Amino acid sequence: MRVPIEWLKEYVPVQAEPEELAHRLTMAGLEVEAIEHDEGEPVLNVKVTPNRGDCLSMVGVAREVAALYGLPLHHPMPSARSTEPGDAVRYATVEIIDDDLCPRYAARVVRQVHIAPSPDWMQKRLIAAGMRPINNVVDVTNYVMLELGQPLHAFDLDLLPNGHIVVRRAKPGEKIVTLDGVERALQPEMLMICDATHPVAVAGVMGGAETEVTPNTRNVLLESAHFNPTSIRRTARRLQLSTEASYRFERVVDPGGVVCALDRACELLEQIGAGEPVPGVVDVYPRPARERVVTLRPDRCNLLLGMDLDTHTMTDCLRRLQLNAELRDGVIHVTVPTFRPDLNIEEDLAEEVGRVYGYENIPERLPFGHTHRGSDSPDTRLIRPLQEAFVRAGLIEVHTHTLRAPGPLDDPTRPLVRVRNAASEELSSLRNSLIPSLMDVVVHNLARRQTEIFLFEVGKVFTVLDGDYDERLKAGFAVTGSVFPPGWDARYPAADFFTAKGIVHILLETVGIEEAQYVSASDPRFHPGRSAKVLVGEREVGLFGELHPHILEQLDITRRTVLAGEFDVYTLWSLATQRVRYVPLPKYPAVLRDLAVVAAEEVPYQQVEQTVRQAGGTLLESVRLFDVYRGERIPEGTRSLALSLTFRSPERTLTDEEVDGIVQQIVQALEGIGARLRA
Amino acid sequence: MEERVHALLEEATRAILSASTTAELEGMETRYLGRKGLVTELLRALPTLPPEQRPRFGQLLNTVKAQLQQQVEQRRLELGQREREERLRAERVDITLPPRPLRVGLKHPLTQTMERVRAALIGLGFEFVDSPELDDYRYNFAALNYPDDHPAMDEQMSFYISDTRLLRTQTTSVQGRVMEKRKPPFRIAVIGRCFRNETVDATHHHTFHQVDAFIVDKGISMADLKGVLAAFARQMFGEDVQVRFRPDFFPFVEPGVDYAIYWQGGWLELGGAGLIHPNILRAHSIDPEQWTGFAFGLGIERIPMIQYQIDDLRLFLENDLRFLQRYGA
Repeated sequence: MRVPIEWLKEYVPVQAEPEELAHRLTMAGLEVEAIEHDEGEPVLNVKVTPNRGDCLSMVGVAREVAALYGLPLHHPMPSARSTEPGDAVRYATVEIIDDDLCPRYAARVVRQVHIAPSPDWMQKRLIAAGMRPINNVVDVTNYVMLELGQPLHAFDLDLLPNGHIVVRRAKPGEKIVTLDGVERALQPEMLMICDATHPVAVAGVMGGAETEVTPNTRNVLLESAHFNPTSIRRTARRLQLSTEASYRFERVVDPGGVVCALDRACELLEQIGAGEPVPGVVDVYPRPARERVVTLRPDRCNLLLGMDLDTHTMTDCLRRLQLNAELRDGVIHVTVPTFRPDLNIEEDLAEEVGRVYGYENIPERLPFGHTHRGSDSPDTRLIRPLQEAFVRAGLIEVHTHTLRAPGPLDDPTRPLVRVRNAASEELSSLRNSLIPSLMDVVVHNLARRQTEIFLFEVGKVFTVLDGDYDERLKAGFAVTGSVFPPGWDARYPAADFFTAKGIVHILLETVGIEEAQYVSASDPRFHPGRSAKVLVGEREVGLFGELHPHILEQLDITRRTVLAGEFDVYTLWSLATQRVRYVPLPKYPAVLRDLAVVAAEEVPYQQVEQTVRQAGGTLLESVRLFDVYRGERIPEGTRSLALSLTFRSPERTLTDEEVDGIVQQIVQALEGIGARLRA
Repeated sequence: MEERVHALLEEATRAILSASTTAELEGMETRYLGRKGLVTELLRALPTLPPEQRPRFGQLLNTVKAQLQQQVEQRRLELGQREREERLRAERVDITLPPRPLRVGLKHPLTQTMERVRAALIGLGFEFVDSPELDDYRYNFAALNYPDDHPAMDEQMSFYISDTRLLRTQTTSVQGRVMEKRKPPFRIAVIGRCFRNETVDATHHHTFHQVDAFIVDKGISMADLKGVLAAFARQMFGEDVQVRFRPDFFPFVEPGVDYAIYWQGGWLELGGAGLIHPNILRAHSIDPEQWTGFAFGLGIERIPMIQYQIDDLRLFLENDLRFLQRYGA
């Protein structure tokens, strides 16, 4: 809210410089976001928190200033002058049907109206406060709203049949053309100001065009009311119409100030010669708000603030805020005026004391008592080792978007969770896989001429599972580039399936999974011959491989291999075995043997290795593949696998004869799967 | 005979000294001291001398042999050293050429920040827990004392999945989940991703990260909150950082606080805090007369933005490698 300091000074004689005033208000909770200038005059731009609707006016801000500086407050209309219906009732009548949404509705009548521009001083203040002058009547209603916080509305009385106002919910099918010229369909829960037959204003939001004050207006009905904040908020939102009035009503306007504002408006209209107010007010207020008494125990106040204030200081702080505070039986009783609906409980009063006394005076202390041991969350304990494994593998971590447009890289097996109120397609679904958003990052960086892109992410993905939403952690990667970063003197082959498998291997090793099966994946996102599901026992822990060329085409990635993979974090860890245990270093020397095994291309390496291991028994310590050969020297359709075998016994030195015997068994076993030793 | 020996010594000495490579030296060594070398031959000829001359000549020849051997060794050292120096000179590289790049993995700046935040809060006795990103309206708003349809929600526009489920707008949503299950005293913290349905610009994003911490214990006051926030801020931003408290409003705290640090000549707001609203304690059967608590939260992105003077929030989720490599570790 814009508060011209010149205007503020009409209500409180503050002498402070604008910067100092801004600082004090900010430190008391009324944040001054900026000091602006309007024709050289300083204007405070105040950010009012949603609980302080009472500060959405000059008098409201002045009340805070008066409290902070210990100054008197000059209220332009401290209490209502019109208390009786008087003559007004001859011209206007009010009927509230839905008083749950409108606890109070008051009207005054101004006759002999002469529509003209408002005086310069009023226009200048309105402009400084950010409003556009229109004519004397409308400007007075806006001026009073800015001054006292009570929105007012002026109807052309002659356009209201019999001057009769009915406050009720809209009926099905009703419509209204609002002041901005838009025809609006009304919902039955919206509160309307109506004449005998149809709506003439959207209560608390905007008036109707039909009864608008025009240059021809001769008589005016001024409305001042109190509306239910939630009702106004919902109506304004449904109609997508936020106005100065609705903004204030949403934040609770003082029900006690309804008639004061009318009297003030009439006083001003008379003063500027805009018309002749009819004495008396039509005020329908079936259940007047009662002043509440809230108590504050001084000990409790000090406990909450962590301070040691005496009761006199506490009552003084409260009184400065125009609250009636009295100490009785050791407890401070505060009578809360209707303009402070935010003060309801003891804690609210403690805050007021702290605020006026100054939060900056609260000491710093560390909590004592119960001793606590801090700790990481269970998920963090699963995530961090995986992050570190990827970092060891040379990958760079990214944090990508959860909200995305559905796309070809989504996991086809997991239904997407959709956002119901997304502003755009880009934010319309929750990722069900990390791969799509990882690929967004790959594409982004390729477009910026990065060629070595090795990325990982550990994050949440979502799907619908068994009729509920499922949120789980995945660890994913996407890589494209060389096996090693190219330098000025060396080039390396492009990272391929086996590079990805190396990353997967580090991941599994970190978790403590020693045995995994790699099975062809049939995921349409991946190259059918260069992708694998990873199984541990019967459980699938994830998949990885080369992305399908068709997908890369859609992403405009050409002449590049891109590898990606994704693993389920909880499943991975659930299959972890106790990894770290002491194994003594070998005492006896190893015996090495190299074998070149020729087998049909269709025989998977894993089968060859398993056959060798089974036949090799416990003395075969390790099997290492060191070359794969295809070519003229062996039959077509076969490949030669060069294996390096290490034999060792923990108890003795093996003899050549012993090892030769085992190798013989291995060769025989290999023949069983159609593999022969290379001649 | 003696003259021949002296002449030989002189000749061999000259030859050894004139050898310019170790290979040449080895030739000289063979020529004079080898099995068929000139000195060896003279030694072999000793038996032909008259017996009375043999000891003297024998001694002389042995001395000469020793002398030559010593000269060869010395020359070998000299030549060896010179040759090694030459070789090393030839092996010299241009040390100003660029390095061979290695593939170095890095953690995202947000991960690093979260790790620092965790370390700081764990040190202050907070137990971190996990809480879902796809949360219930109840935990995100209702359990946090938000009245239905309150203007306080204007700053928390949400992405709704259904009538009751939404993407959490604040990690504070963990409070109700914890209080439902546990009895005080406790010190809990949660860190993670939050979402708000708002327009993205340099300082706002629909996706961001937060940390929330709260304590419920006996006698917890605003002074404890200030002390913990100051300790936390000092660990994050340095020992001499000052913390400022001013009143603010959040439905789940009363009194409410906005806290800021003094950084490079100005106050920078870090987040919101306050004493946990008694309605929340009461709703979870925690007696506010017996227990009080505080809560505070802040945006994770805010920390590296302050530290490194990063001026655009969007960079964190854009993941430009040039950005990540600058701030990653």
